[in-house]
Amino acid sequence: MKRYGEHRFPGKLFVVEGIDGSGKSTQLMLLHQWLQAEGYGTVFSEWNSSPLVKDTTRRGKKKQMLTPATFSLIHATDFADRMEHNIIPLLKAGAVVLCDRYIYTAFARDVVRGMDPKWVRELYGFAVKPTTAFYFRVPLDVAMKRILDGRTGLKFYEAGMDLGLSEDEEESFAIFQERILEEYEKMVPEFDLTVIDATLPIEEQQVIMRQVVKAKLAQAKRLRVAP
Amino acid sequence: MRETYGTTLPGMRLGELTGKLIVIEGTDGVGRTTQINLLKPWLEQQGRAVLETGVSRSSLAGKGIKQAKEGHTLGRITLTLFYGTDFADRLEHEIVPALRAGFVVLTDRYIYSLMARAMVRGIDPAWVRNVYSFALKPDAVFYLRIGVDDLIPRVVFSRGFDYWESGMDLHPSEDMYESFRKYQGALLSQFDVLAEQYGFDIVDASMDIRSVSARLKAGVARVLSGEPPEPLFSIPKPKEAVEPATEAKVIQMPAPAKAAGAD
Repeated sequence: MKRYGEHRFPGKLFVVEGIDGSGKSTQLMLLHQWLQAEGYGTVFSEWNSSPLVKDTTRRGKKKQMLTPATFSLIHATDFADRMEHNIIPLLKAGAVVLCDRYIYTAFARDVVRGMDPKWVRELYGFAVKPTTAFYFRVPLDVAMKRILDGRTGLKFYEAGMDLGLSEDEEESFAIFQERILEEYEKMVPEFDLTVIDATLPIEEQQVIMRQVVKAKLAQAKRLRVAP
Repeated sequence: MRETYGTTLPGMRLGELTGKLIVIEGTDGVGRTTQINLLKPWLEQQGRAVLETGVSRSSLAGKGIKQAKEGHTLGRITLTLFYGTDFADRLEHEIVPALRAGFVVLTDRYIYSLMARAMVRGIDPAWVRNVYSFALKPDAVFYLRIGVDDLIPRVVFSRGFDYWESGMDLHPSEDMYESFRKYQGALLSQFDVLAEQYGFDIVDASMDIRSVSARLKAGVARVLSGEPPEPLFSIPKPKEAVEPATEAKVIQMPAPAKAAGAD
């Protein structure tokens, strides 16, 4: 078992990371559209999508029976299933794989919940290193405004209510997100994340993203499906 | 004071865990359950409160694991982590509260079985050790040791071959009997490595039930009285030739679906 090595599969793996409300999902959707129009075989792999583990995760969340340890492990299990059954076969087949959130989300969340940073990094040692990991950097107040405007309520774990930071959901969420943000900032140099200024207009961010992706795909011309 | 194998989970105050943690390890069909069923009333007669627990029984993940195994579609890393989730849930919700309350916790298998299963499937031992490094170090591990030849009649004449206990997911052979032999042989050699690394107290499980029970009771009594364990046995060599313990067997899969990031 090789750890976190640079993969040598013919496919490419692009991931987006950032706190809720950073606009990363919108940017990934726009990238997806463009890649498809350009004729690349592109596949979207979603977080929390493994059918095998989904029921257990849902039960744990609904009944609020997850601790930091089981929260971390059940998400790692889910991620492993997607890695083994979805991402790796796709990369072998030469696809361009897009992930909305990746291992860095787990590193940030689990460490904020009190798990040992070294343990969590080692736990995900089986993960393939992305071709590029984009980090959408946004100030907390901007992200908070985007989220609270568009939503009716926050979920228990999403707001970090299990940490007992505050009785108030919104306040708990803000403190939780701030700590997540700190973890992301530590990871920028550690994992060489590609930082995108998420306060820029959407179109400008997308131009930068496409430039970076294009440069990586140039070395993989054979992926291109004839239009 | 109680220790872990590396990392300590948030909120786990080790100093409060005053109970005793006793592990019964051993492969499938070796008689662990029978022995635990004899130990529990024996301890209770002496006024000890006992919690009995075992693998894949957690309220969080036990059902999910069963369902996933029905489909035989779990990947090796996924299965390892699913068991890890189950273990963490039982550790935090059963074992730790019982230890805090001063119980004797008798656990049918512990991390070692889970590690052996993963390693037989070719997963990096260092990675597996890290996954389980939050586990509490037990007060004693009694390993019910048996050779494949003694194991086979017990399994065949009681419940027959099981898909997972025969390692059929690894396709070692079309035939369940051959698969069972190969898979259990590989597991036993992994257990021998773990026995040395983790200092198991080895019990010869080819003896009759009463002799094994007497041997276990003596061992448990020693742990509970706080006496030091007997010096470690060296692992008895089984009749058939077996590789040295340091080179534990791994079942080779036909198409080596290497782990993530393989060349």
